[in-house]
Amino acid sequence: MALDMRAIALVIVALIIGLAAGYGIAAMIGGAATTVTVTPQKKVYSIGFTLPLSGELSSIGKVWEKVVQLAIDDLNKEVQAYGFNVEFRAVILDDSTVEEKALQNVQSFAQQGIKVVIGPAASAQVKVVKSYVDSNKIVLISPSSTAPTLAIPNDYVFRTVGSDAGQAKALAALAYQEGARKVVVFHRNDEYGKAFADFFESYFKEMGGTAIKLPYQTGLSDYASEVATLASKVQSEGADAVVLIAFDTDGANILSHAAESDILSSVRWFVSEGPHGAEELLSSTVGQFASKVKLFGTRPLFIANPLYEDFKNRMIQKFGVEPGVFSENLYDAVKLAGWAILRAGTYDGEAIRAALIEVAKTYYGPSGWTIFDSAGDKAQQDYGVWAIVPGGPKGYQFKDVGLYERGSIIFLEQAYS
Amino acid sequence: MQQAVMNAFQYSLFYLIFSLPLTLSYRTTKVINFAHANFITYGAYVAILLHGILGSNLMSLAVIVAFLLTGSIAVINNMLVFTPLQKRGSSPAIVMISSMGLWIAYKYLLYMITDIANYYTTKNFVSYGRITYSDVPRGSVGGIDFSQALVASLVAASLTVVLLYILLEKTKIGRAMRAVADNPSLAEISGIPRALIINLTWFICGGIVGVGGVIWTSFSGAITPEAGDSMILQVFTVGFIGGLVSLLRTGIGAVLIAAIENVGIAVLNAFFGIPVSFRPFLTFATLITTLIAFPPLGAGGGLPYRFLRRGSKK
Repeated sequence: MALDMRAIALVIVALIIGLAAGYGIAAMIGGAATTVTVTPQKKVYSIGFTLPLSGELSSIGKVWEKVVQLAIDDLNKEVQAYGFNVEFRAVILDDSTVEEKALQNVQSFAQQGIKVVIGPAASAQVKVVKSYVDSNKIVLISPSSTAPTLAIPNDYVFRTVGSDAGQAKALAALAYQEGARKVVVFHRNDEYGKAFADFFESYFKEMGGTAIKLPYQTGLSDYASEVATLASKVQSEGADAVVLIAFDTDGANILSHAAESDILSSVRWFVSEGPHGAEELLSSTVGQFASKVKLFGTRPLFIANPLYEDFKNRMIQKFGVEPGVFSENLYDAVKLAGWAILRAGTYDGEAIRAALIEVAKTYYGPSGWTIFDSAGDKAQQDYGVWAIVPGGPKGYQFKDVGLYERGSIIFLEQAYS
Repeated sequence: MQQAVMNAFQYSLFYLIFSLPLTLSYRTTKVINFAHANFITYGAYVAILLHGILGSNLMSLAVIVAFLLTGSIAVINNMLVFTPLQKRGSSPAIVMISSMGLWIAYKYLLYMITDIANYYTTKNFVSYGRITYSDVPRGSVGGIDFSQALVASLVAASLTVVLLYILLEKTKIGRAMRAVADNPSLAEISGIPRALIINLTWFICGGIVGVGGVIWTSFSGAITPEAGDSMILQVFTVGFIGGLVSLLRTGIGAVLIAAIENVGIAVLNAFFGIPVSFRPFLTFATLITTLIAFPPLGAGGGLPYRFLRRGSKK
């Protein structure tokens, strides 16, 4: 009993001491707060990213993830240097290069109150999310959707890259200038592939060539059978070149199988921007094939831009990877988004949309001048020519060897001997 | 057209390696296993990680590691998921759905592994180019080009067929496997260690498919963590043609589907102008036709049809 009483007394004493100590500390902290002005809390803005970290564009998607990191870092340093007390944060979700998942991602961004979304990569995905972002006033910036069918004015979809109407012209000029007169256009049977093939066909016809379109189903595990059909088509039509309009994994797969075919190794190959930057293309199978058929591709690129060279070197230094296709367009998309949010002054879709158009007029980055045309696409888009040449740590590497200028291709160096 | 025929041959071999174990595992364990796709992909990734991280160009090494790994995965799936579910009296449909869950989980686990590997090597493992092996011959005989994939899959498919035949027909274990397949309860009563036989079946089936996955890396030009996924439905189609019971008919199914997918579409394209993008349709039209022609096979499980046939004769 006495023990119990003592224990209770001890507890009470401890409580009193604790109370006194608590008061003292609280008073000290409170006192400090009144004398020193606390810096106002940093305002945090989130930018949503729906990127192809898996699926048919995963090869380049993995590189883009690093581009986003670099761009957000740069943006934060830049705005802080201008004295803004804000921080931009990237919320990255994977959309598997699939339409429905891109939409789910955008919807979950919307639930989190995010008003600016960068991505998705593929035109078919942009098409699916378009009506949702329009009705919910979310500014969507795709760094890589190029289908001319999505060049629609007065919507919430912006593209920091020119539409393929331009690139199809460059690719047609490249093929024609290299001596191709009758080509089989082997293309993805989707939004991107179909539109690109149609534009290519009309430009190539205008130049006096013939283009035979051969679509293939996307999302297959392997394309050996499609490539065999392509070979017999090339043979039966007597075509002198193949124009391939593909993404990463399908493009690499097709080129690897084509390398096994004598018929396909004896005609020229011209490739769209899709497979550029995919590491699978640097395997010895594809590398040797590229030299044999003198493979050239086109891609949106403002060649010899010092900002691009700087960006490229920093990517290599920081992450050990070369920025593949659309990396610079993605970088600029992030910068534009950040400055547009600040210019808008309020985190509201409509205001950011209006600010974005203004910001883009005066911004110049690794992808060049970012001004938008009336449809919200990059108005000033230049195109470069790329090749796969021996060299680099992987045995083969991508090299930008020429550019498209007023209807013709100018080679800056010889890619293949 | 010659290329199409060669492709058909090559694909028959792949489908054989992928589908025979599917049929064997179903008829012994009665599980329609969608995680079968993971065996293909994990087998391929054993080869890719050995190549990308350790710089190994040896297919033989990859084959051994892959067999052990995918075989073990199959046993683990059975011990941790399928058997407990079956013991609690789950219907075959529930077990099948659990295998779908495993399929998705393993896929994303592999994405995580590729990310970690990418972090340490800065190489891209999410999509990997074709691997050229140093221990597999290639060459051309009589104008026919024998690629590494063709040589390897020819050897692997022949070995699979011969060894499975010897195992099932000539050995005690094989007889026990067949007994469990025919009547699990009776087999158990007559003293066959059923659980052990089922685990052994899973190990062999998972292992064989993993080997096929390794060979796939010498064929395909871009391997992703979803390589097995887009193939699994074809593999099931081949299995369904064999009624998921008959190994012989599974073999016929492999040749049939490979021929339709390669020669069939080439002929249709050349003579009737049918677009190549039509190819997946042909495969699944064949699947539906097979299912309608042999109705007891409905994917919900049920008994293998030969038991029903026997029963219906009464």
